[in-house]
Amino acid sequence: MDNLETRLVKLALKGDQRAFAEIVDLYKDRIYHLAYRMLNNRHEAEDVVQETFLRVYRNLDRYDQAQKFSTWIYRIGTNLSIDRLRKRKPTYSLDAEIGDQDGADGYALIPGDNRTPETEYLISETRTTIHEAIDDLPPKYKTVMILRYLQELSLQEISDVLDMPVTTIKTRVHRGREFLRKKLESQNR
Amino acid sequence: MDCKQAVSFMHEYLDGDLPSEQARELQSHFDACPDCRAAFRRLEETEMMIFAANRRPAEISAPDDMTDRIMSFLPQPKKHSPVWSWVQRHPALTAAAAFILIMLGTSIGFWNADTQLVVKGSDLERVQVQGDTVIVPEGTTVSGDLTVQRGKLEIYGDVEGNVTVIDGSAYQASTAHVTGQVKDIHQALDWVWYKLGNFVSEVAYR
Repeated sequence: MDNLETRLVKLALKGDQRAFAEIVDLYKDRIYHLAYRMLNNRHEAEDVVQETFLRVYRNLDRYDQAQKFSTWIYRIGTNLSIDRLRKRKPTYSLDAEIGDQDGADGYALIPGDNRTPETEYLISETRTTIHEAIDDLPPKYKTVMILRYLQELSLQEISDVLDMPVTTIKTRVHRGREFLRKKLESQNR
Repeated sequence: MDCKQAVSFMHEYLDGDLPSEQARELQSHFDACPDCRAAFRRLEETEMMIFAANRRPAEISAPDDMTDRIMSFLPQPKKHSPVWSWVQRHPALTAAAAFILIMLGTSIGFWNADTQLVVKGSDLERVQVQGDTVIVPEGTTVSGDLTVQRGKLEIYGDVEGNVTVIDGSAYQASTAHVTGQVKDIHQALDWVWYKLGNFVSEVAYR
Protein backbone atom coordinates (compact mmCIF):
# COMPACT_ATOMS: atom_id res chain seq x y z
CA MET A 1 0.00 0.00 0.00
CA ASP A 2 2.68 2.41 1.07
CA ASN A 3 4.83 1.28 -1.76
CA LEU A 4 2.12 2.04 -4.29
CA GLU A 5 1.62 5.51 -2.85
CA THR A 6 5.32 6.27 -2.88
CA ARG A 7 5.49 5.19 -6.51
CA LEU A 8 2.47 7.31 -7.41
CA VAL A 9 4.03 10.31 -5.69
CA LYS A 10 7.24 9.84 -7.65
CA LEU A 11 5.34 9.61 -10.93
CA ALA A 12 3.23 12.64 -10.04
CA LEU A 13 6.40 14.58 -9.25
CA LYS A 14 7.64 13.82 -12.76
CA GLY A 15 4.47 15.45 -14.06
CA ASP A 16 2.32 12.34 -14.55
CA GLN A 17 -1.20 13.71 -14.12
CA ARG A 18 -2.76 10.25 -14.14
CA ALA A 19 -0.66 9.19 -11.17
CA PHE A 20 -1.94 12.18 -9.25
CA ALA A 21 -5.53 11.35 -10.25
CA GLU A 22 -4.86 7.90 -8.79
CA ILE A 23 -3.81 9.48 -5.48
CA VAL A 24 -7.00 11.55 -5.50
CA ASP A 25 -9.07 8.42 -6.09
CA LEU A 26 -7.37 6.63 -3.22
CA TYR A 27 -8.00 9.34 -0.65
CA LYS A 28 -10.92 11.53 -1.70
CA ASP A 29 -13.57 9.51 0.15
CA ARG A 30 -11.56 9.27 3.35
CA ILE A 31 -10.81 12.98 3.39
CA TYR A 32 -14.40 13.79 2.44
CA HIS A 33 -15.75 11.68 5.27
CA LEU A 34 -13.32 13.22 7.73
CA ALA A 35 -14.24 16.75 6.65
CA TYR A 36 -17.94 15.94 6.57
CA ARG A 37 -17.89 14.68 10.14
CA MET A 38 -15.78 17.59 11.29
CA LEU A 39 -17.92 20.24 9.60
CA ASN A 40 -21.27 18.50 9.25
CA ASN A 41 -21.79 20.10 5.89
CA ARG A 42 -21.44 18.48 2.47
CA HIS A 43 -20.56 21.64 0.63
CA GLU A 44 -17.80 22.60 3.03
CA ALA A 45 -16.53 19.03 3.06
CA GLU A 46 -16.16 19.17 -0.73
CA ASP A 47 -14.25 22.42 -0.42
CA VAL A 48 -11.92 20.87 2.11
CA VAL A 49 -11.28 17.87 -0.15
CA GLN A 50 -10.41 20.14 -3.07
CA GLU A 51 -8.20 22.35 -0.95
CA THR A 52 -6.47 19.30 0.52
CA PHE A 53 -5.52 17.90 -2.87
CA LEU A 54 -4.47 21.30 -4.14
CA ARG A 55 -2.06 21.57 -1.21
CA VAL A 56 -0.86 18.02 -1.68
CA TYR A 57 -0.18 18.81 -5.32
CA ARG A 58 1.67 22.03 -4.59
CA ASN A 59 3.78 20.54 -1.82
CA LEU A 60 4.39 17.12 -3.28
CA ASP A 61 8.10 17.84 -3.60
CA ARG A 62 8.22 18.55 0.13
CA TYR A 63 6.61 15.26 1.11
CA ASP A 64 9.00 13.34 3.36
CA GLN A 65 8.97 9.74 2.25
CA ALA A 66 10.07 8.52 5.67
CA GLN A 67 6.55 9.43 6.74
CA LYS A 68 3.42 7.51 5.79
CA PHE A 69 1.62 9.23 2.95
CA SER A 70 -1.72 8.75 4.74
CA THR A 71 -0.38 10.56 7.80
CA TRP A 72 0.68 13.49 5.66
CA ILE A 73 -2.60 13.83 3.77
CA TYR A 74 -4.64 13.37 6.95
CA ARG A 75 -2.65 16.14 8.55
CA ILE A 76 -3.47 18.51 5.71
CA GLY A 77 -7.16 17.54 5.65
CA THR A 78 -7.47 17.73 9.43
CA ASN A 79 -5.80 21.13 9.68
CA LEU A 80 -8.00 22.55 6.93
CA SER A 81 -11.11 21.24 8.69
CA ILE A 82 -10.01 22.62 12.06
CA ASP A 83 -9.29 26.00 10.47
CA ARG A 84 -12.81 26.16 9.08
CA LEU A 85 -14.28 25.02 12.35
CA ARG A 86 -12.47 27.76 14.26
CA LYS A 87 -13.41 30.47 11.80
CA ARG A 88 -17.01 29.46 11.90
CA LYS A 89 -19.39 31.52 13.97
CA PRO A 90 -21.27 29.41 16.49
CA THR A 91 -24.44 29.32 14.40
CA TYR A 92 -25.31 25.66 14.70
CA SER A 93 -28.50 25.48 16.63
CA LEU A 94 -28.52 23.78 19.99
CA ASP A 95 -32.31 24.05 20.14
CA ALA A 96 -32.85 21.76 17.18
CA GLU A 97 -30.67 19.06 18.66
CA ILE A 98 -32.33 19.21 22.04
CA GLY A 99 -35.76 19.11 20.41
CA ASP A 100 -34.83 16.00 18.41
CA GLN A 101 -33.44 14.24 21.39
CA ASP A 102 -36.53 14.79 23.50
CA GLY A 103 -38.69 13.32 20.78
CA ALA A 104 -36.36 10.38 20.34
CA ASP A 105 -36.35 9.60 24.02
CA GLY A 106 -40.13 9.55 24.05
CA TYR A 107 -40.29 7.07 21.22
CA ALA A 108 -37.43 4.95 22.37
CA LEU A 109 -39.12 4.34 25.70
CA ILE A 110 -42.25 2.82 24.19
CA PRO A 111 -41.96 -0.97 24.27
CA GLY A 112 -43.27 -2.60 21.10
CA ASP A 113 -43.98 -6.08 19.76
CA ASN A 114 -42.50 -5.07 16.46
CA ARG A 115 -38.93 -5.11 17.64
CA THR A 116 -37.01 -4.86 14.43
CA PRO A 117 -38.08 -1.40 13.24
CA GLU A 118 -37.96 -0.31 16.85
CA THR A 119 -34.42 -1.57 17.27
CA GLU A 120 -33.40 -0.02 14.03
CA TYR A 121 -34.88 3.23 15.07
CA LEU A 122 -32.96 3.01 18.32
CA ILE A 123 -29.75 2.30 16.50
CA SER A 124 -30.22 5.21 14.16
CA GLU A 125 -31.09 7.40 17.12
CA THR A 126 -27.98 6.27 18.94
CA ARG A 127 -25.98 7.07 15.87
CA THR A 128 -27.52 10.53 15.70
CA THR A 129 -26.83 11.08 19.39
CA ILE A 130 -23.21 10.10 18.94
CA HIS A 131 -22.74 12.30 15.91
CA GLU A 132 -24.35 15.22 17.62
CA ALA A 133 -22.31 14.66 20.75
CA ILE A 134 -19.10 14.53 18.73
CA ASP A 135 -20.20 17.66 16.92
CA ASP A 136 -20.62 19.44 20.26
CA LEU A 137 -17.07 18.67 21.34
CA PRO A 138 -14.44 21.39 21.20
CA PRO A 139 -12.32 21.02 18.02
CA LYS A 140 -9.32 19.46 19.80
CA TYR A 141 -11.44 16.61 21.17
CA LYS A 142 -13.58 16.36 18.07
CA THR A 143 -10.58 15.88 15.81
CA VAL A 144 -9.13 13.12 17.94
CA MET A 145 -12.47 11.30 18.23
CA ILE A 146 -13.09 11.46 14.48
CA LEU A 147 -9.63 10.24 13.59
CA ARG A 148 -9.90 7.46 16.17
CA TYR A 149 -13.41 6.20 15.56
CA LEU A 150 -14.21 7.29 12.06
CA GLN A 151 -10.91 6.84 10.28
CA GLU A 152 -9.90 4.12 12.75
CA LEU A 153 -6.37 5.41 13.02
CA SER A 154 -4.18 4.07 15.80
CA LEU A 155 -3.26 6.36 18.69
CA GLN A 156 0.29 6.50 17.33
CA GLU A 157 -0.97 7.53 13.87
CA ILE A 158 -3.16 10.24 15.38
CA SER A 159 -0.17 11.49 17.31
CA ASP A 160 1.78 11.65 14.03
CA VAL A 161 -1.03 13.42 12.18
CA LEU A 162 -1.57 16.04 14.86
CA ASP A 163 2.08 16.20 15.85
CA MET A 164 1.29 15.76 19.54
CA PRO A 165 2.51 13.24 22.10
CA VAL A 166 0.60 9.95 22.32
CA THR A 167 -0.19 10.65 25.98
CA THR A 168 -2.06 13.82 24.96
CA ILE A 169 -4.03 11.89 22.36
CA LYS A 170 -4.87 9.24 24.95
CA THR A 171 -6.13 11.79 27.44
CA ARG A 172 -8.37 13.27 24.77
CA VAL A 173 -9.73 9.90 23.69
CA HIS A 174 -10.44 9.01 27.32
CA ARG A 175 -12.26 12.27 27.97
CA GLY A 176 -14.16 12.04 24.72
CA ARG A 177 -15.21 8.50 25.54
CA GLU A 178 -16.46 9.55 28.99
CA PHE A 179 -18.33 12.45 27.45
CA LEU A 180 -20.08 10.19 24.95
CA ARG A 181 -20.90 7.65 27.64
CA LYS A 182 -22.68 10.35 29.61
CA LYS A 183 -24.55 11.53 26.52
CA LEU A 184 -25.69 8.02 25.70
CA GLU A 185 -26.76 7.37 29.27
CA SER A 186 -28.83 10.52 29.33
CA GLN A 187 -30.43 9.45 26.04
CA ASN A 188 -31.35 6.00 27.29
CA ARG A 189 -32.66 7.19 30.59
CA MET B 1 -6.52 -0.39 43.57
CA ASP B 2 -8.87 2.54 44.04
CA CYS B 3 -11.74 3.35 41.68
CA LYS B 4 -9.94 6.29 40.10
CA GLN B 5 -7.04 4.06 39.13
CA ALA B 6 -9.54 1.49 37.88
CA VAL B 7 -11.15 4.04 35.50
CA SER B 8 -7.76 4.91 34.09
CA PHE B 9 -7.04 1.20 33.56
CA MET B 10 -10.43 0.77 31.86
CA HIS B 11 -9.54 3.36 29.26
CA GLU B 12 -6.12 1.85 28.72
CA TYR B 13 -7.80 -1.50 28.24
CA LEU B 14 -10.17 -0.06 25.65
CA ASP B 15 -7.20 1.52 23.87
CA GLY B 16 -5.70 -1.96 23.74
CA ASP B 17 -2.75 -0.76 25.79
CA LEU B 18 -3.27 -2.41 29.19
CA PRO B 19 -0.61 -5.00 30.02
CA SER B 20 -2.04 -8.37 31.07
CA GLU B 21 -0.78 -8.04 34.63
CA GLN B 22 -2.73 -4.79 35.12
CA ALA B 23 -5.70 -6.35 33.35
CA ARG B 24 -5.76 -9.05 36.04
CA GLU B 25 -5.60 -6.38 38.74
CA LEU B 26 -8.52 -4.62 37.11
CA GLN B 27 -10.45 -7.88 37.00
CA SER B 28 -9.93 -8.47 40.71
CA HIS B 29 -11.04 -4.90 41.39
CA PHE B 30 -14.27 -5.60 39.45
CA ASP B 31 -14.88 -8.67 41.63
CA ALA B 32 -14.77 -6.40 44.64
CA CYS B 33 -16.46 -3.30 43.17
CA PRO B 34 -19.79 -3.79 41.30
CA ASP B 35 -20.00 -0.06 40.52
CA CYS B 36 -16.76 -0.12 38.57
CA ARG B 37 -17.82 -3.33 36.84
CA ALA B 38 -21.05 -1.61 35.71
CA ALA B 39 -19.14 1.52 34.69
CA PHE B 40 -16.81 -0.59 32.62
CA ARG B 41 -19.71 -2.35 30.88
CA ARG B 42 -21.21 1.02 29.93
CA LEU B 43 -17.88 2.30 28.72
CA GLU B 44 -17.36 -0.81 26.64
CA GLU B 45 -20.83 -0.41 25.12
CA THR B 46 -20.11 3.22 24.38
CA GLU B 47 -16.88 2.25 22.67
CA MET B 48 -18.68 -0.27 20.48
CA MET B 49 -21.44 2.18 19.67
CA ILE B 50 -19.06 4.94 18.66
CA PHE B 51 -17.25 2.58 16.33
CA ALA B 52 -20.55 1.33 14.90
CA ALA B 53 -21.97 4.83 14.52
CA ASN B 54 -18.94 6.07 12.69
CA ARG B 55 -18.50 3.23 10.22
CA ARG B 56 -18.20 5.00 6.95
CA PRO B 57 -21.58 4.72 5.27
CA ALA B 58 -21.67 4.45 1.49
CA GLU B 59 -23.82 7.55 1.11
CA ILE B 60 -21.20 9.76 2.70
CA SER B 61 -18.59 9.72 0.01
CA ALA B 62 -17.16 12.35 -2.24
CA PRO B 63 -19.20 13.07 -5.38
CA ASP B 64 -18.33 10.91 -8.38
CA ASP B 65 -16.96 13.74 -10.45
CA MET B 66 -14.70 14.88 -7.62
CA THR B 67 -11.51 13.48 -9.14
CA ASP B 68 -12.15 15.16 -12.49
CA ARG B 69 -13.01 18.42 -10.82
CA ILE B 70 -9.87 18.38 -8.69
CA MET B 71 -7.71 17.52 -11.68
CA SER B 72 -9.16 20.44 -13.62
CA PHE B 73 -8.48 22.81 -10.72
CA LEU B 74 -4.82 21.90 -10.48
CA PRO B 75 -2.35 24.46 -11.72
CA GLN B 76 -0.44 23.42 -14.81
CA PRO B 77 2.66 21.49 -13.86
CA LYS B 78 5.68 23.72 -13.64
CA LYS B 79 7.65 23.06 -16.79
CA HIS B 80 11.30 23.20 -15.87
CA SER B 81 13.32 23.32 -19.04
CA PRO B 82 15.77 20.42 -19.10
CA VAL B 83 18.62 22.83 -19.82
CA TRP B 84 17.86 24.91 -16.75
CA SER B 85 17.59 21.91 -14.43
CA TRP B 86 20.87 20.58 -15.84
CA VAL B 87 22.47 23.94 -15.07
CA GLN B 88 21.13 23.80 -11.53
CA ARG B 89 22.48 20.32 -11.00
CA HIS B 90 25.95 20.97 -12.44
CA PRO B 91 27.16 24.43 -11.44
CA ALA B 92 30.86 23.64 -11.96
CA LEU B 93 30.35 22.22 -15.42
CA THR B 94 28.16 25.17 -16.27
CA ALA B 95 30.91 27.59 -15.25
CA ALA B 96 33.42 25.63 -17.35
CA ALA B 97 31.03 25.64 -20.32
CA ALA B 98 30.48 29.36 -19.94
CA PHE B 99 34.24 29.91 -19.85
CA ILE B 100 34.75 27.88 -23.01
CA LEU B 101 31.91 29.74 -24.70
CA ILE B 102 33.50 33.08 -23.86
CA MET B 103 36.86 31.83 -25.10
CA LEU B 104 35.30 30.70 -28.36
CA GLY B 105 33.42 33.95 -28.64
CA THR B 106 36.52 36.09 -28.30
CA SER B 107 38.51 33.83 -30.62
CA ILE B 108 35.84 34.05 -33.28
CA GLY B 109 35.67 37.75 -32.62
CA PHE B 110 39.36 38.07 -33.34
CA TRP B 111 38.99 35.88 -36.34
CA ASN B 112 36.37 38.24 -37.70
CA ALA B 113 38.20 41.34 -36.60
CA ASP B 114 41.22 41.07 -38.90
CA THR B 115 40.72 41.44 -42.59
CA GLN B 116 44.33 42.07 -43.52
CA LEU B 117 46.77 39.64 -44.94
CA VAL B 118 49.10 38.14 -42.38
CA VAL B 119 52.27 36.29 -43.26
CA LYS B 120 54.26 34.58 -40.58
CA GLY B 121 57.52 32.77 -40.87
CA SER B 122 61.16 32.78 -39.80
CA ASP B 123 62.51 33.37 -43.30
CA LEU B 124 60.25 35.92 -44.95
CA GLU B 125 62.93 37.69 -46.97
CA ARG B 126 62.66 35.20 -49.75
CA VAL B 127 58.91 35.49 -50.00
CA GLN B 128 57.28 37.90 -52.44
CA VAL B 129 53.99 39.57 -51.63
CA GLN B 130 51.81 40.89 -54.46
CA GLY B 131 48.50 42.29 -53.19
CA ASP B 132 46.87 39.48 -51.27
CA THR B 133 49.03 36.86 -52.88
CA VAL B 134 52.13 35.43 -51.23
CA ILE B 135 54.56 33.84 -53.60
CA VAL B 136 57.49 31.52 -52.96
CA PRO B 137 59.36 31.96 -56.25
CA GLU B 138 60.85 29.11 -58.18
CA GLY B 139 64.43 28.32 -57.17
CA THR B 140 64.14 29.87 -53.70
CA THR B 141 64.19 27.94 -50.46
CA VAL B 142 62.30 29.17 -47.41
CA SER B 143 63.62 27.62 -44.26
CA GLY B 144 61.23 27.21 -41.36
CA ASP B 145 57.42 27.21 -41.14
CA LEU B 146 55.27 29.52 -43.21
CA THR B 147 51.82 30.74 -42.24
CA VAL B 148 49.52 32.82 -44.40
CA GLN B 149 46.29 34.25 -43.14
CA ARG B 150 43.55 35.68 -45.38
CA GLY B 151 45.53 35.44 -48.56
CA LYS B 152 46.56 33.24 -51.47
CA LEU B 153 49.77 31.30 -51.29
CA GLU B 154 51.48 30.17 -54.43
CA ILE B 155 54.49 27.94 -54.00
CA TYR B 156 56.90 27.45 -56.89
CA GLY B 157 60.06 26.88 -54.83
CA ASP B 158 60.94 24.88 -51.69
CA VAL B 159 59.67 25.28 -48.12
CA GLU B 160 61.62 23.45 -45.44
CA GLY B 161 58.91 23.32 -42.82
CA ASN B 162 55.10 23.29 -42.40
CA VAL B 163 52.80 25.42 -44.50
CA THR B 164 49.54 26.68 -43.02
CA VAL B 165 46.95 28.69 -44.88
CA ILE B 166 44.14 30.18 -42.85
CA ASP B 167 41.01 31.36 -44.63
CA GLY B 168 42.79 31.47 -47.91
CA SER B 169 44.03 29.14 -50.61
CA ALA B 170 47.27 27.36 -51.33
CA TYR B 171 48.58 26.51 -54.73
CA GLN B 172 51.59 24.26 -55.23
CA ALA B 173 53.24 24.22 -58.60
CA SER B 174 54.85 21.05 -59.99
CA THR B 175 58.22 22.52 -59.09
CA ALA B 176 57.20 23.16 -55.48
CA HIS B 177 58.59 21.15 -52.63
CA VAL B 178 57.37 21.29 -49.05
CA THR B 179 59.16 19.17 -46.49
CA GLY B 180 56.51 19.56 -43.77
CA GLN B 181 52.74 19.38 -43.83
CA VAL B 182 50.42 21.66 -45.77
CA LYS B 183 47.37 22.68 -43.76
CA ASP B 184 44.48 24.57 -45.25
CA ILE B 185 42.18 26.06 -42.66
CA HIS B 186 39.01 27.68 -43.89
CA GLN B 187 36.56 27.90 -41.07
CA ALA B 188 36.44 29.66 -37.76
CA LEU B 189 36.05 26.40 -35.89
CA ASP B 190 39.03 24.84 -37.64
CA TRP B 191 40.98 27.91 -36.78
CA VAL B 192 39.99 27.60 -33.15
CA TRP B 193 41.10 23.99 -33.18
CA TYR B 194 44.33 25.10 -34.70
CA LYS B 195 44.75 27.69 -31.91
CA LEU B 196 43.83 25.17 -29.28
CA GLY B 197 46.17 22.64 -30.84
CA ASN B 198 49.01 25.14 -30.64
CA PHE B 199 48.08 25.91 -27.08
CA VAL B 200 47.96 22.23 -26.13
CA SER B 201 51.30 21.43 -27.75
CA GLU B 202 52.86 24.51 -26.15
CA VAL B 203 51.65 23.30 -22.76
CA ALA B 204 52.80 19.77 -23.51
CA TYR B 205 56.30 20.81 -24.47
CA ARG B 206 56.80 23.28 -21.67
